[in-house]
Amino acid sequence: MGTSILLVNKPVDVLQKKMELQAVLMAAGGGSRMMDLTYNTRKPLLPVGNKPLIWYPINLLERVGFEEVIVITTKEVQKMISTDPKMKLDVKMKLDIVCIQEDAHMGTADALRHIQQKIKTDILVVSCDLITDAALHEVVDLFRAHNATLSMLMSKAHEFTETVPGQKGKKKTGEQRDFVGVDGTGKRLLFMANEADLDKGLVIRKSNMRKHPRMHIKTGLVDAHLYCLKKSVVDFLADNRSVSSIRGELVPYIVRKQFSKSMTSPNVNDEADQKLKKKDGNANVEIKILSRDEALLQLTRERSCWNDHRGDMSEAYHGGRLRCYVHIMDEGMCYRVNMLAAYIEANRLAPKLFDEPAVHPSAAISVRCLIGADSIIGASCQISDKASIKRSMIGASTTVREKVKVTNSIIMHGVTIEEGCNIQGSVICSNTVIGRGADIKYCLVGSAQRIEPEGEHTTAYYCLTLPSHTQVPLTSTLSGNSRVAKIQ
Amino acid sequence: ANRGGKQKKGNVTSEQEEEEQPLQAVLVADSFNRRFFPISKDQPRALLPLGNVAMIDYTLEFLTSTGVQETFVFCCWMSNKIKDHLLKSKWCRPTSPNVVHIITSDLYRSLGDVLRDVDAKNLVRNDFILVYGDVVSNIDVSQALQEHRHRRKVDKNISVMTMVFKESSPGHKSRCEEDDVIVAMDSKSKRVLHYQKTQGLKKLQFPMNIFQHGSDEFEIRHDLLDCHISICSPQVAELFTDNFDYQTRNDFVRGILVNEEILGNQIHLYVTQDGYGARVSNLQMYDSVSSDMVRRWVYPLTPEANFTDQQGQGCTHSRHNVYRGAEVSLGHGSQMEENVLIGRDTSIGANCHISNSVIGNNCTIGDNVVLDRAHMWNNVHISSNVEIHQSVVCDGAVVKEAVRLNKQCVLAYNVVIGPNLSLPEGTVVSMHHPEEEEEDDDDEFLSDDQEVGHTFNPAEVGPEGKGYIWKASMNDTEDEELAQCLWGRPLSKQNVCKVVSFQLEVLGTLQRGLEENIVCDNLVLEINSLKYAYNITLKEVMQILTRVVLEYPFQQQGTQLTTLQYTGSLLPLLKTWSPVFKNYIKRAQDHLDCLSAVEELFLEQDTHQTAMVKVLMKMYQLEILEEEAILKWFSTGATNDKSRQLRKNQGLQKFIQWLKEAEDESSEEGE
Repeated sequence: MGTSILLVNKPVDVLQKKMELQAVLMAAGGGSRMMDLTYNTRKPLLPVGNKPLIWYPINLLERVGFEEVIVITTKEVQKMISTDPKMKLDVKMKLDIVCIQEDAHMGTADALRHIQQKIKTDILVVSCDLITDAALHEVVDLFRAHNATLSMLMSKAHEFTETVPGQKGKKKTGEQRDFVGVDGTGKRLLFMANEADLDKGLVIRKSNMRKHPRMHIKTGLVDAHLYCLKKSVVDFLADNRSVSSIRGELVPYIVRKQFSKSMTSPNVNDEADQKLKKKDGNANVEIKILSRDEALLQLTRERSCWNDHRGDMSEAYHGGRLRCYVHIMDEGMCYRVNMLAAYIEANRLAPKLFDEPAVHPSAAISVRCLIGADSIIGASCQISDKASIKRSMIGASTTVREKVKVTNSIIMHGVTIEEGCNIQGSVICSNTVIGRGADIKYCLVGSAQRIEPEGEHTTAYYCLTLPSHTQVPLTSTLSGNSRVAKIQ
Repeated sequence: ANRGGKQKKGNVTSEQEEEEQPLQAVLVADSFNRRFFPISKDQPRALLPLGNVAMIDYTLEFLTSTGVQETFVFCCWMSNKIKDHLLKSKWCRPTSPNVVHIITSDLYRSLGDVLRDVDAKNLVRNDFILVYGDVVSNIDVSQALQEHRHRRKVDKNISVMTMVFKESSPGHKSRCEEDDVIVAMDSKSKRVLHYQKTQGLKKLQFPMNIFQHGSDEFEIRHDLLDCHISICSPQVAELFTDNFDYQTRNDFVRGILVNEEILGNQIHLYVTQDGYGARVSNLQMYDSVSSDMVRRWVYPLTPEANFTDQQGQGCTHSRHNVYRGAEVSLGHGSQMEENVLIGRDTSIGANCHISNSVIGNNCTIGDNVVLDRAHMWNNVHISSNVEIHQSVVCDGAVVKEAVRLNKQCVLAYNVVIGPNLSLPEGTVVSMHHPEEEEEDDDDEFLSDDQEVGHTFNPAEVGPEGKGYIWKASMNDTEDEELAQCLWGRPLSKQNVCKVVSFQLEVLGTLQRGLEENIVCDNLVLEINSLKYAYNITLKEVMQILTRVVLEYPFQQQGTQLTTLQYTGSLLPLLKTWSPVFKNYIKRAQDHLDCLSAVEELFLEQDTHQTAMVKVLMKMYQLEILEEEAILKWFSTGATNDKSRQLRKNQGLQKFIQWLKEAEDESSEEGE
C-alpha cells in the first residue's frame, strides 16, 4: 500500500488535543457468526477491499482527528499486525494495544473494566467490524450538547442484495427485532428492548408518555456499536462486575435508568447522595452513572429560557440527569461485518471509501487481460493473459493464470488459481489452490484447500475441518454454521 | 338500484358522480350520559350556551363550513326543545346550504342505537362525518376526507373510519383526564393500531401483535386530543347493526382493532396541528373551550361574528378581547379586564371587577362584584358585593348580597342563593332534589314536577335561598361519577387527593364507630380495607390515623377550643380507640413514626402545645407508646429549630424526666 489518502469531508475536529474523548477500539471478538471465514483469519484481520477490517474503524477515528486509540485485542492479532506485511496497518495514529486472553470469555464491558486505569476522560467505543462513512461528529455533538451519559450511532438496516455463498434462496429473517424508541425529535433514546424480552407486550409508564408524548418506535435499525460514554459509566462498570456486555446489558440498563425515580428527582443534592451511599451499596452504584452537571452549567440552565421539550413548563429534561441519545443515519453506508452476507456487501462497497488505485502498483498484470474498473488487485499479484476479473477483489500475492474468469468474488491472499477456472459469486480464503478448469459457483472455500481440477461446484462450503474426500451430494443445502468439506 | 344504474354508464362517470354526491353528516345531539346533571335536567346539553350561543350551533356551523350539505340530527333527551331551537335557527331556512333533518326517538340509548337506525333507514349513501352535538371546532376536514377516500379507493374498502385528532401536549388545559387517550399508529400508513383511554392507568401496555404488520416504524402518541369527529364509511353503520353489543364509538374502535384479522377492517387517523377541535364532555372542558372561544382560538367562530345570524346577537370586539352586546350598561368604576363577553341588555353596577368571564343576555349585576372565570347564562341576577370564581350560573339564578362562590360551583336553573353565604368549593345547587332523580328515572320527560316534601335548608343555600345541594357522596357509584365529572377531575393531583380522601374516610369510620358504638376490631378491619382501596402504605395509615384522632375534637367542636377543653375531649377518645392504635403501632419504627405525627400536629397547632404532654402521657399510660421510644424520640428526633423549641416545653421536660426516673427505678427493681 502506498501513501494513505484520507478522505476528509468534514472539518477536522481536533478532539484529541483537548483530550475530550478517548477512543477505545474493541477488536477481540472472534467473529462467531461467520466461523467459516474466521476459522483461520481472526475477524479484525479479514481483508475487506484488501485492507484488514480493523483498518476501517481506525481510519474513521483518524479522519476526525484522533491521535491515539486504545485497541483491545488478542495476542494473536497483535502479532499479526506487527509482523505480517499484508496486515500492516497504514495509519499515523498511535495504537495503544492492550491484549486480553482469548479464552477468558470477556465481554465488551469486561474489556472496558480491564482498561479502567487508562481511562481519564469520557470515551468513544468503536467495534472493529464497523465500516461506515457516518459523520462521527453528529454522535459526539449530541453527547456534548445534552451533556449525555450515552450517545450512540444507529442506521437503517440494509437489505443484502448479493447472493451469499453456501445459501440457496433468500434466508428468512427469523431474527428477533430490536425495538428502539426515540422521541419526537428522533434524537433522544427512550426505549430499547429486544422482541424476545417483550413477551408481555410493550409496556411504557404513563409518566414517561407525559414527558415524551410522541414516541417513535423503530424496528428496522442496526446498532453500529459505536458509543460515546461518560467516564462515570466506566467507573460504574468497575463497581458492578455483573455487567459483561455493553450492548447486551449496559446500554439497555442506562436507557431504562433514565426514567427511574432516583434519577429524575430534582431535589437529589449531594447531601442526599451521600446518604444514599451510606444506606446501601447498590444505590451508590446507581448514583455514579448520573451525569453530574457542572455548577456553572446548572446555573446557565436555570437562568436561560432554553428547554429541550415543548408543551409543559417543567424544567429542561424534566429534571432528569441521565440522558441517552442516538443518531440515526438516514443515508450513507454503515455495515457491521459480522456475517458472511455483510462481509460480501462490505467488500463490494468498501473501496468507495478511499481513493486508492484499484490495481496495486506492485502487481504484475498482463496487458492482455481484462480487469473491470470495479475490481481491486492487491500487491504482488500475478495476473496472466486472457484472464477476466469483474466486480471482484483479489488479495495480495495471488496468482491468476490464463483464461481464468472471476466474477463477483472475493479472493483472499496467496491464492493460486490455475488455468481456465471459472469462479463466480464465491469467497476463496487464503492460500488455497484451485485446480485447473474448476468451475466454482456460489461457494465458500476455506483456507489452504486444494480444489481438484475440472470439478464443478455449486453452493457449498469447503473447509479444513473435515477429512478430505468426503462426498456430499451436490444439491445439499447447507445452512447456519455447518461446515462441510466436499471434494470431487 | 341507484348504484346499478351508474355502473352502466361506465367507471369514469360513476366516479365523477360519487365525487359530486353531497357530503352527509350524522350529528348526535345527545350525550347518553349524565355528566351535566343537574343542569341537563332542564335543558339538553346540546342547547347549553357557550359564549352565549347554543353548543349545537357551533357543531352545525363547523359541519357547514367544512362542506357538509346534508345533516341528520338525532335527538332523544328533550328532543322537542332541540327541534324547536333548530326550526327557529338559520339552518332550517330555505337558503341554508346545509339541509338539516331532525330525527327524534325516545328509544335511543346510545350512539350504537343511533347508527343502527341510520343503517335501518338507509340514510347515508357515502362517507359521512359523525359528530356529537357538543363539538366545537374549526378544523377543515376536507384534507382528512380526501385521505380517507383515497385509502378507500386504493385498499378496496378496508379502511372504515378516519378519526380526527388535534395535536396538544399533555397537561394542556383543553385536555381532561377522562378523555385522555393513547394511540399507537403506523407512521407511514397512519393506521391506528391501538387506542386506549388512559384514565386511571399507570402503565400502558401494548400487545406485540400490533407491531407485526410488516412496517418497521410505529408511533406511540400521547399528544393527541380526540376531537370526537370521525369520518365514517357507510360500512360503519352496518357494522353497528352486525355487532349489536357496540354501544359507543369506543366499543366500535376497540372491536375493529381487536378483530382486525377477522373482519379485515382498519381505522386510520388524521392529525391536525393548527385547527381547533374539542368536545365539551364535562364542565372543566366547558370552562376551557369557552375561554378558548373568547380568546379567539376557534376563529372564525368568534363571539362578534354572530354566525348564527340572529337578530340582536351581535356584539362589538375591543382590545383585550372584551366583547359587548347591544344595550350593555356599565356602572362607574367598573373594570372589564380581559377576555370578557357580555350579552345584550345586561347592566353592570359600579366598581365591579370582571375578568375571563362570559355573561349572558338580560343579566343584572350589582355593585362591587368580582367575577373571575364565571360563566353566567341568561337572566341572572347578581346583587352587590358578590364574588364568583370559576363557576357556572345557569339561567334565572339569583345570587343575593355578599355571597361568595368558590371554585367549581354550579348554580342550576332558577336557584336562589344568599344572602351572606360562602359556598365551598365544588358545590352544586339545583331546584331538583337529588332524590327526585331516582323517582322519575323511568320517565325522563317529567322534569317539571313539584318538589313535594322537600324543604330548602337555609344553612346550605342562605336564609332566602331556594335550591338543594347535590352532594357528591362517595358511597354511590353513580354519584361518584357525577362528583368527578361535572367538573372533570383535574390533571395530576391524584396522589394528594388519595391521601386526603383516605383521611376523610378514616375520619368517617371513626365517627361512625363512636355513634354506633362499633367494636375497635371492626374499625381496624374497615381501615385496613380502606388502606387497600386507596393503596396507602402502613406508615401513612398510622400517620393519618394519629392525625385524625388528634384533630377529632377540632373537627367536632371547631378550632376555637381552649387547651383544657381539647384535652378534656381528646383523652377519653384516646382510651376508646387505643386498641386501634395498638393494632398499627408494633415495631420500634412505628412508635417513632407515630410520635413524629404527634409532633407534626402540635407544631401546627402551636397554641395547644401544652396539651402535648398530656396526650403523650395518656398514650404512655394506655401502653400505646413505649417509654424507650418516647425517650429516643425526645433525644434524637429534633431536626429543626421549631421542634427543638417544642422540646423545651417545661411540661414535656418534666414528663421526660419522670420517664427516665421511672426507668431507672424499674431497672433497679429488676436488679
